Amino acid sequence: MLFILAWRNIWRNKKRSLIVIAAITAGLSCGLFASAVMYGMYDSLINTTIDRELGHIQIHSPKFEDEKIITDTIPDFQSVVSNIKNISEVSGISSRVIIEAMCSSPTSSRGVKITGIIPDEEKKVTSIHNQIIEGNYFESDIPSQIVIGKKLADNLDVKLKSKIVLSFQDFDGNIVYAAFRVTGIFKTESSIYDQSVVFINQRELFELLNQSAFSHEIVLRLKSFQQVDSVFAKLSKSYPVLSVKDWKLLSPEIKIYYDILDIQLYFFMGIILFALLFGITNTMLMSVIERIREIGILIALGMKRSRIFVMITLETIALSLVGGIAGLIFGAIIIAIVSSTGINLSAFTEGLSQFSISTVLYPVLPLTFYPILTLMIILSAIIAAIYPAIKAIRLKPATAIRTY
Amino acid sequence: MKLIELYGVTKIYDETIVPVKAVDNVDLQIDKGEFTAIVGPSGSGKTTLLNLIGGLDQPTSGKIVVDGTDISTYKEDELINFRLHHIGFVFQAYNLIPVFTAKENVEFIMLLQNISKSEREKRAIDFLDAVGLKDRINNFPTELSGGQQQRVAVARALASTPSFVLADEPTANLDSVSAESLLDLMEKLNKEHKMTFIFSTHDEKVIRRAHRVIQLRDGKIEKDVLMN
Repeated sequence: MLFILAWRNIWRNKKRSLIVIAAITAGLSCGLFASAVMYGMYDSLINTTIDRELGHIQIHSPKFEDEKIITDTIPDFQSVVSNIKNISEVSGISSRVIIEAMCSSPTSSRGVKITGIIPDEEKKVTSIHNQIIEGNYFESDIPSQIVIGKKLADNLDVKLKSKIVLSFQDFDGNIVYAAFRVTGIFKTESSIYDQSVVFINQRELFELLNQSAFSHEIVLRLKSFQQVDSVFAKLSKSYPVLSVKDWKLLSPEIKIYYDILDIQLYFFMGIILFALLFGITNTMLMSVIERIREIGILIALGMKRSRIFVMITLETIALSLVGGIAGLIFGAIIIAIVSSTGINLSAFTEGLSQFSISTVLYPVLPLTFYPILTLMIILSAIIAAIYPAIKAIRLKPATAIRTY
Repeated sequence: MKLIELYGVTKIYDETIVPVKAVDNVDLQIDKGEFTAIVGPSGSGKTTLLNLIGGLDQPTSGKIVVDGTDISTYKEDELINFRLHHIGFVFQAYNLIPVFTAKENVEFIMLLQNISKSEREKRAIDFLDAVGLKDRINNFPTELSGGQQQRVAVARALASTPSFVLADEPTANLDSVSAESLLDLMEKLNKEHKMTFIFSTHDEKVIRRAHRVIQLRDGKIEKDVLMN
């Protein structure tokens, strides 16, 4: 009955209640949308980094990770690869050779990371083959093909079919020079990546180095993002002497951003609720002042002050929840609509490429955000109710019942 | 049998600024089953005396015993509980909860007494029937006339099964027909159920029907007359 009383009381002054409900709805839905855009940005950052380069899990020799020395290869990598291929969750596996090198054109030189790949395997793990803007991704059989980034091509002042020279150390420390012809140019979301990574066929690297097959890096792609933790645990146990890392360990800065993002967004929503809280308090205070006689009558009749406090608090929670739930629903609808089309940020391509963020942004918000936000709304309502409720319970019934 | 006893009761307001003695050393006893009117001009102390008897205010000095219990030393929470279980209130402006129907208004006082839902509903309907409003139980106060609202207030006062009913100018906002009808009802409840009624009033209609009239002036009892 106290709930019924509280519910009906908030509709006594419909206009006033609707104004505060509208303010809560607008504040929360805008806040939710802004949060979803930020989540979308970080999702984009993670996904593009995983798709472009990291994969879900990588395996190295522990020493290679520290100094990137050519001789620190993965022991018996072929058996590791064939064992991992049998894991049902794995959708793609690529064995890479990684060599730090100098890349020179007739006009300029740049330091680069050579990634020696088996193109058909690499295609199952990363998405560079989809980001070719000129030429192709190892589709012909001609020898000495190299695929480079657009930024590097610009820096070296080379174009498709241009010849460039790579120089790097072999296993014995001697410098190897090799000429390659640019057959593909890619452009990813990250300009830093585009100017520092080149791809060549690893078979040609083995020949240049006069070595049988070896590997510095095994990259895995799983069928689902959710399988990362379990497969990572399994591989860590199976290969204790190797360095097994998931994307979070490979790119800890992204993981930290992601973790901080949650706190940032709850803090952001908390600020919105804090601002709304004053409006709610004001509305409830007006409601209490208008009902001084009525509340005095309730106390006179024998309603305990604790129950009066609960009644005012329930009214405030009901008022806030109506606006809050409307805001959550409205916000979720806006997010759903915008995420189906995406937000085109191509006007900011240059700036976004510094942060590896896609130019089309899809706002997204984890489902856990909604119940936590509902609890935050209830908590805000309780805080907003305190002052009006204290005002109500301090009324003296003898004088309150004669207030007109 | 003594229901209400006042011994040397004094109430002074604004003691530190300009003291106003609203009730001045009053001795008064009211028996169970009385139908008593407290009368007097404005400022004579009627309302203050009613507030003191009803536990809405505490005396500056003196002792108030209701139903054998000294309530003059009660703390606020104890007074709230005491009012809930011993006193039925009827106010001048009806003072029903506007968002509750007639039945819910009567039920609400029993909710505060922690009476079960089924019992509350049964008793609310019985009391509304007793005040002649069985067919209006689901009407909101705004859908009832002043007389009907005051009848709901009487039903609410009785629903808590109080020791007595305090009615503060209950007919002041009613037309004469509604006022007479309400007084008929209260008189009937007094006769049939020995319910004690104490009125504060200016209304001649109430004074005419009262069995005892206590006249106040300047906070003191000027006259205390038993009527035939």
